[in-house]
Amino acid sequence: MDPYSAEGELVNIHSAFHQGQYSQVLDFDTSSFSSSNAVPARLLKLRAQIALEQYDEVIADVSGEESTPDFAAAKVLAEYLKDPWDSEEAVETAKKLAGSKGDNLGVQLLAGTVLADSGNVEEALALLSKHQGSLDAVAMIVQIHLQQNRTDLAAKEALNARKWAQDSLLVNVAESWVGLRQGGEKYQSAYYVFEELAQAPATQAPLTLVGQAISEIHLGRLPEAEAALQQALDINAQDADALANLMVLNTLAGKDAAEVMGRLEMARPKHQALLDLKEKTEEFEAARAKYTPKFEA
Amino acid sequence: MSKAQYPSMLTKFESKSSRAKGIAFHPKRRVPSSLNKPWILVSLHSSTIQLWDYRMGTLIDRFEEHDGPVRGIDFHKTQPLFVSGGDDYKIKVWSYQTRRCLFTLNGHLDYVRTVFFHHELPWILSSSDDQTIRIWNWQNRSLICTMTGHNHYTMCAQFHPKEDLIVSASLDQSVRVWDISGLRKKHSAPTSMTFEDQMARANANQADMFGNTDAVVKFVLEGHDRGVNWVAFHPTLPLIVSAGDDRLVKLWRMSDTKAWEVDTCRGHFQNVSACLFHPHQDLIISVGEDKTVRVWDLNKRTSVQSFKRENDRFWVIAAHPEINLFAAGHDNGVMVFKLERERPASAVYQNQLFYITKEKHVRSFDFAKSTESPSMLSLKKLGSPWMPPRTLSYNPAERAILVTSPADGGTYELVSLPRDASGAVEPTDTKRGSGTSAVFVARNRFAVFNQASQQIDIKDLTNSTTKTIKPPHGTVDVYFGGTGCLLLITATSVVLYDIQQKKQLAELAVNGVKYVVWSTDGLHAALLSKHNVTIVTKSLHQVSTLHETIRIKSATWDDAGVLLYSTLNHIKYTLMNGDNGIVRTLDQTVYLVRVKGRNIYCLDRAAKPKVLAIDPTEYRFKLALVKRDYDEMLNIIRNSSLVGQSIISYLQKKGYPEIALQFVQDPQTRFELAIECGNLDVAVEMARQLDRPKLWQRLSTEALAHGNHQVVEMTYQKLRNFDKLSFLYLATGDQEKLQRMAKIAEHRGDMTARFQNALYLGDVENRIEMFKEVDLYPLAYMTAKSHGLEEECQAILEASGLTEDQIALVSTGKALAPPKPVVPTYKTNWPVKGTSTSVFEKALLGQAEGGDDDAAPYTNGYGEDNLIEADDGAARDQMAEADEDEDAAGWDMGNDVEAEVEDEFVNVEAAETGAGSSEADLWARNSPIAADHVAGGSFESAMQLLNRQVGAVNFKPLESRFQEVYQASKTFLPATAGMPPLVNYVRRTVNETDSRKLLPLIPRDLESIVAGELQAGKTQMRTNKLEDGIQSFKKILHLLLVNAVSSQGEVSEAKTVIRTAAQYALAMSIELERRSIVKSSTDLASFPEDVKKRALELSAYFTIPEMDPSHVTLALFSAMNLAHKNKQLSSALSFANSLIEKGTNAKFKESARKIKTVCERNPNDAVEIEFDQFAEFEICGASHTPIYGGSPSAVCPYDGTKYHSTYKGTVCKVCEVAQIGAPASGLRLFV
Repeated sequence: MDPYSAEGELVNIHSAFHQGQYSQVLDFDTSSFSSSNAVPARLLKLRAQIALEQYDEVIADVSGEESTPDFAAAKVLAEYLKDPWDSEEAVETAKKLAGSKGDNLGVQLLAGTVLADSGNVEEALALLSKHQGSLDAVAMIVQIHLQQNRTDLAAKEALNARKWAQDSLLVNVAESWVGLRQGGEKYQSAYYVFEELAQAPATQAPLTLVGQAISEIHLGRLPEAEAALQQALDINAQDADALANLMVLNTLAGKDAAEVMGRLEMARPKHQALLDLKEKTEEFEAARAKYTPKFEA
Repeated sequence: MSKAQYPSMLTKFESKSSRAKGIAFHPKRRVPSSLNKPWILVSLHSSTIQLWDYRMGTLIDRFEEHDGPVRGIDFHKTQPLFVSGGDDYKIKVWSYQTRRCLFTLNGHLDYVRTVFFHHELPWILSSSDDQTIRIWNWQNRSLICTMTGHNHYTMCAQFHPKEDLIVSASLDQSVRVWDISGLRKKHSAPTSMTFEDQMARANANQADMFGNTDAVVKFVLEGHDRGVNWVAFHPTLPLIVSAGDDRLVKLWRMSDTKAWEVDTCRGHFQNVSACLFHPHQDLIISVGEDKTVRVWDLNKRTSVQSFKRENDRFWVIAAHPEINLFAAGHDNGVMVFKLERERPASAVYQNQLFYITKEKHVRSFDFAKSTESPSMLSLKKLGSPWMPPRTLSYNPAERAILVTSPADGGTYELVSLPRDASGAVEPTDTKRGSGTSAVFVARNRFAVFNQASQQIDIKDLTNSTTKTIKPPHGTVDVYFGGTGCLLLITATSVVLYDIQQKKQLAELAVNGVKYVVWSTDGLHAALLSKHNVTIVTKSLHQVSTLHETIRIKSATWDDAGVLLYSTLNHIKYTLMNGDNGIVRTLDQTVYLVRVKGRNIYCLDRAAKPKVLAIDPTEYRFKLALVKRDYDEMLNIIRNSSLVGQSIISYLQKKGYPEIALQFVQDPQTRFELAIECGNLDVAVEMARQLDRPKLWQRLSTEALAHGNHQVVEMTYQKLRNFDKLSFLYLATGDQEKLQRMAKIAEHRGDMTARFQNALYLGDVENRIEMFKEVDLYPLAYMTAKSHGLEEECQAILEASGLTEDQIALVSTGKALAPPKPVVPTYKTNWPVKGTSTSVFEKALLGQAEGGDDDAAPYTNGYGEDNLIEADDGAARDQMAEADEDEDAAGWDMGNDVEAEVEDEFVNVEAAETGAGSSEADLWARNSPIAADHVAGGSFESAMQLLNRQVGAVNFKPLESRFQEVYQASKTFLPATAGMPPLVNYVRRTVNETDSRKLLPLIPRDLESIVAGELQAGKTQMRTNKLEDGIQSFKKILHLLLVNAVSSQGEVSEAKTVIRTAAQYALAMSIELERRSIVKSSTDLASFPEDVKKRALELSAYFTIPEMDPSHVTLALFSAMNLAHKNKQLSSALSFANSLIEKGTNAKFKESARKIKTVCERNPNDAVEIEFDQFAEFEICGASHTPIYGGSPSAVCPYDGTKYHSTYKGTVCKVCEVAQIGAPASGLRLFV
């Protein structure tokens, strides 16, 4: 039986992971799981730890178990994310893992993450395409296509997955990612998916709330979006993604965004939004320098 | 029929008694509705007549005068009367008001079976085992007609509801129809007959002298094989229904000339006791000794439904003439029931109500427009024809509805609504199944509950089950429970159940919940049971609960979180804290669906949408009180007539006497409230009005507690309480008043008081004097002695004829004197108890707080301005816009930039693999607007565009704007853990999916700038905060330079705003320059001549830029005053003239007229300045000197400020971005 199917052992921990309920994943009692599910369950816990930025703990946890490809991949990813700007070694290890243990799902997902994020997109896609019916892999492929601005390929991938996985959580979520790129009526559909997850007490998490807020921003419903982000920050005041989007929202609404930006700098100084803005400041100076205004004394 | 149909018969009331033989409903009258009673009369085999309130379930009265069983009973249609007939052969007429039998009609010779009032004539019709049918006049209490013809017991006789006909049934197996038009003619004709004649004729029962007979048999209907027990006319059609011991119900039709049997309803397996036509529907209802109630289709004569009692034979049935209610009498009492639910199935989504009509058509109703759509679908095939759908659940994402029907043990149907309502079409592609209830739980999921199998299936839209849930035992219904959850209703509790986790999240013990109503924000729900409303949060925590004695029918939430609910006869409200009250009364039962402002939207029992007006003032006020929203309360107090004892006592009870005080007129109550909230001013005022000692007494106590001794003093004076008054003066140290008290005491001859006052004053002489006066010489002597007044001692001794030796003195010690007050504390009250002015009172008193702000900060002699004029100015601005539209036509100089821009990007159409272009790149490609390029992150091309469009060269001031626009352009969607978030671009074209038309959302639209910075800038002008003002206007210029608008009309509006902002900025910089050289001096005599000249010039130039008239007025007034003070009388005169002509402020005009008079005497300037009041000129933005028409000049291509041509090529001083005189194609703001 597929351990991820509705009746399988892994379904709840797996859903919790993808709903962004990382601490629930860590608290999950997996002792009763059958032995065949022990590794995937532990891998999910490791991934949750990585999502919570507990890289050192992950590295320590799996050291000595690198012979299991899943754990080796987890270690690589943790090492990579610990410092992505100085990570050639990790990327190399990931490439090696991809070459030798490319059939392992854990390797596909985690080493694939390293490859995709380090700019080796083609290799990452090649690695992920080896998956056998894994929605996690599908979701990553969709995400990579979207990062490549290939909404068409992403939509195709999601559509294929829907054919065999019907409306499992990840298919819905991946479709929503695509929908937020496509826009129009898809904004509303994406909103429904995120809202359904974000507002149900059992599945509420900053991840889904931020998703809901973003759909609302794109729908032009700023006050509602603000409420959702506030809910996310009530759960975790340091949630970097919620802060980044709150900054965008405040700017859109004509409010002062400096305070939120400050909070974001505290929470995650290397958030994409901040790096991007810094880059743009330099770009502005460069572009401005092409003009030589003359001032009347 | 099967027993499965049983649920659709709804029992409303049951009584337990001996065998019920007769039943009558209290008739309904339209006006006044208060006379409508939910009553039934039940006549029992035990000789009692009972009067029940079936709504409350209470026995109101019992009437016991008959001897033996009472079989016939009827209410009068209009009078407070009823009639009964029994086995004692008697017919009795009763008043239910006086609760006694008025009189008895004797005449029948055997059991009386039925009695009925005529619907308009004062007649009673009776049938009896003596084989006769008789008509009685109850007004003169006489028998007027006896109809013979039946040759066995007549079991039943009834008047036709409109025509002069009677129908009767008899154990002789026949039904007879009688014509009584002759009787009516005789009794309504004017008559000059004697009473004896009338009697003779009434008893004759034969043709009278004109050949008329009172009553003749019209038809004899034969068809029953056994005795006939009951017969009834159809209310509108020429039909008759009869029930007999042959176990048959027969339907008969008649014309003017004949009558015949139509058909037979077969099904009863015992004697049929009674039958009738449904008052509104094509149904026949019959009851029998086989213990069943059966419902038949009138047109098909087939059984529709049936209901069986376990042990009781049915004897009689009655229908309420108006309401959909029936009552049936059986061996052990009476049951009142409905055949079907009358609550129309409906659902509300945003501004729309979806509901199912009586014809089973689905319709929608738009709350905003108050319009009803045509039918969208026909659900004729759902359930059985006589069973309306029970619930409707709406899914906006799929525009689908889920309808349930109780037919066949419960069925549901999932139907898509058509996009447009085009008539009652049969739905295509419906999904159906069986289930007791069905609700949507998510956009693509619904839950179906099956009560029999106690199972909930979660299904997707293709109707296949994705999940199965076992609800707690005894679940009777399910409702939507918030996203991903269900509320499961059991008889004693409500359970919040998480579908995904398959577990209970919460449980609340609450009995018999029937409906759940969610608030619009989804945070609260109201659980309605028969007599209780329980408000809970979305996590099922109880917030409040209330009990109603009358049945609760429906509820809906106000947007502010007030629950409005309807009972059978009222609409009421309840706040979250449980405070409730009546909003209005109802004539008929309605089902609330929505409340908006002063309107309540509801469905009536005919499933027609209705709008009822309500006055929400009371509950809004209470809500504002709970939320301490004083502004709102104030608003309500000012704008509505909210008075009345209830609100006052409410406020008092809730601890808001100071607010209650605002409503009360009655002085006594006002006094009480004022004391309660410590408002002494009001208390004093009211005490003065009422002037009663008791009130003064209470006021004095309260004032003393406050330390308000001035009020205390006044109350003591009023009470003539001299002692206390003196002591008060002593305490406050008011010597003067104390002296006066002493005088008064002397005047009154009150020695004790005098002594006291003297003591307080330390006035020894006076004391001695007093002692002497009352002949207390020893005391006088002692006093004098102790104070060392030897002379006085001597005088006393002399007066009493004694010498010092003769007196044995006790030791006197030191003389005591009261200390002298150091500070005049009596002059003001002591600040003992803070005055308790609530925010609310402050708001009420200081009604114009806004006004204070405006008044304060004038520093440079601007005087006041008023807002009305400022508004005036705005209106004029708008008129000016129309003119500028023409100019705008010239702005559109072509799309030349677009082509060039496009070249800068690589063509990336549809490569098979590899990266695509981001939406940000598309924006730049799709738009010639600089802001869109900024949002897309393409700063360089944005600068190029600005350079070409408005000659922009200095971009430093735009940096923060660039950052702002860019920062708002995209969101960051966290996706797979470990991967960077997905970037999505925020569009202003929300509904667009064509990639060639996508454009970014630019923050700070025109509207927000006009409402924000422009308004702020003008206020800063008015309040003379010019440094801030200049910043506001420059900010406007920068905001609009990098922006996009949504229409061509807005383009011209934006350009007007740009021009206005530039002119204000120029004007302010002129005035600021003047202030920088002479500061705030108005007398310039001390300054060197050139500074003086420049200052005067600048003040004149300040009047030139185009501003709102009220602001030009300010400039003129300031210039006039400065000129006048510095002997520039000619200039002053010209400003005064302009002010008189154009000024918007009456006060300024007044002083202008005065100055004009002064200046006209000697219109000369002391200093020659460069200001020609008669020439046309503009002011150079850099040098602040005049540029006369025709002289060479250059213009800022962005904001239009003029400069002397020497400044060409430099950066504009006003916008600080564009290059003066640069070639420019004009700013693009709209694609």
